[in-house]
Amino acid sequence: MDTRYMAKELWYRRRRTLTATIGLAVGMAILITMNALSAAYSEAARMPLKEIGADITVQRAGDVPENLTGPVFACSAVTIRKNEIDQIRSLPGIRGLAQALLVWVFDTDRFTIVLGFDPSNSVGPGVLRSQLTDGKFLEKGKNHALVEASYAKTHNIRTGDEVTVAGKTYPVAGIVDASRATKIAVANIYLPIEEARKMAVASQQVQTVSPFGPEDANILFIKAAPGQIEPLTHSIKDIVGEKVSVATPASFLKRLGSLFALSDKFSLVTSLIAVVVTLLIVLKTVAGNITERTAEIGVLKAMGWSNGNVVSQLAGESILQCLIGGILGLIIAILAASILGFMQVNIPIPWEMSPTPHFLPGGGDPVFKTLRLPVHISWQLAALAILLSTLIGAVTGAILSRHVARIKPSEVLRYE
Amino acid sequence: MNNQNVISATDLNKSFGTLKVVKDVNFNVKKGEFVSIVGKSGSGKTTLLSLLSGLERPSSGRVTIDGRAITESSENELALFRREMVGFIFQSFHLIPTLSAWENVALPLFPVKMTTEQRRERAMELLRQMEMEHRSDHRPATLSGGEKQRVAIARALVNSPKVVFADEPTGNLDSATSGAIMDILKHLHADNGLSLVMVTHDMDLAGSSDRIVCMQDGEVEL
Repeated sequence: MDTRYMAKELWYRRRRTLTATIGLAVGMAILITMNALSAAYSEAARMPLKEIGADITVQRAGDVPENLTGPVFACSAVTIRKNEIDQIRSLPGIRGLAQALLVWVFDTDRFTIVLGFDPSNSVGPGVLRSQLTDGKFLEKGKNHALVEASYAKTHNIRTGDEVTVAGKTYPVAGIVDASRATKIAVANIYLPIEEARKMAVASQQVQTVSPFGPEDANILFIKAAPGQIEPLTHSIKDIVGEKVSVATPASFLKRLGSLFALSDKFSLVTSLIAVVVTLLIVLKTVAGNITERTAEIGVLKAMGWSNGNVVSQLAGESILQCLIGGILGLIIAILAASILGFMQVNIPIPWEMSPTPHFLPGGGDPVFKTLRLPVHISWQLAALAILLSTLIGAVTGAILSRHVARIKPSEVLRYE
Repeated sequence: MNNQNVISATDLNKSFGTLKVVKDVNFNVKKGEFVSIVGKSGSGKTTLLSLLSGLERPSSGRVTIDGRAITESSENELALFRREMVGFIFQSFHLIPTLSAWENVALPLFPVKMTTEQRRERAMELLRQMEMEHRSDHRPATLSGGEKQRVAIARALVNSPKVVFADEPTGNLDSATSGAIMDILKHLHADNGLSLVMVTHDMDLAGSSDRIVCMQDGEVEL
């Protein structure tokens, strides 16, 4: 293989080279962009749960409270029993599990959304530690409360004040801005889970609708081992039963409704079409090249070039132009990705995960997590595209080598 | 085999389907001999040239060049044989349009393990002999017919062949240029002792050779 000859062929036969290179560049750009978009939607769908430090949330639907007085459970989050929690905890693939208790408290003078959680657990609402805007975070064993920033502002609550919930008073340890973190498990007041449990156990309304034990919960936040989300979802549904509501990145992806989000198969099919069309363009161009250069190939053979010499020369040209096309395609895809990165995506949060009662002002409004589409091209995707481009060049060269072998110099040089 | 013979063809036959193009040809070329094969169009002279040079396999018969039976060689062996033993000059020059003159001359050396500088040196040496040194970086499209054929002759000689086969080497040239090209070929034969087999239909050109072989209907008329 002579690189000087190769480079001159590509340079002086620019029209043909450009056709193959641009064809391949467009194909590779489509392939890279489609896969980057698909990955971006998947990544975006992970965000609502990622922000709460979990891969899966589990709730159970139940009956509507008969009487909205004192502490009650939302009908979308009723009791998950301790034995069910223990069974889930023992499932293979669980990396971490946090229990939480969401309680609506209808006091005579105000309505409060209370979330009880374990502040020492990094999974679930424990991530709010990073959103503390004033004071201190909850500490295990201390019956303090955290107040959400907007609620604190509305009710003029500061760190060091006291808040009364369901007849019990808690000193305010700090203020958290939960709105910056997540749309899931947003409450007005955060308490240690033990305090929330006491509240639920003592509530006649809760016990009537959904009997609650002192070690039960009504929301679980789960961190799963890589690749275990799907099997865990099935196992959890088996344990909790048909009224279970399991949120995963896949369930958010379905809600996005985009073609890219509907199925990985879409990007796979688009990628396959791009590769096949690209392969055909390159094959046609290289086949045209060989037809055009039949006499030249005959001369090379007459001069003592073996079939192998000729094939490696032509395959080298094909690989080189495909490699250039692949790199060009990657550059186009990087530009496209940087433009697509300005797109905003609204991820709908399921109503059952919204802590606000639908009968309160704003409670029935659809809730979205809005973020910029995180489009980026991974080095693995870039490497795959370049490798694929080179492979297309090599496959094309190999397919056409049979035609080269059939060219007889005596025949092509005879008819001049 | 007679040691004087660089080419020896025995009972050579070539058919394309039912058409017999070369019939029972026995033919020798001595070392340093300049042989012209003449005949009308369709007489089988170009096919005979292809058989003698290893470009075509005979239907039957045997060809040896410098003692090597090329009719029994594989495709790759034949390619290697052509690279080491023979040079070709074609009527239509058949230069590679994307390569410069010196690169065209060096073309048979591309598969040989040599540096680009070594190839260039060898090509330039031959272009100098052809008085084409000043056009070494020009591509074929910018060369005249005579210049192209000089480059083609240099290419035929670059691998120091035992035999050069020329198929109507002046067929595409005007009479003045034809004369100049024939002078070059005669000098190569006379000065270097090169064995030369030339196909032509021009008896005047054939007159320059040591021996003329006439072909008619696929048969050699001695």
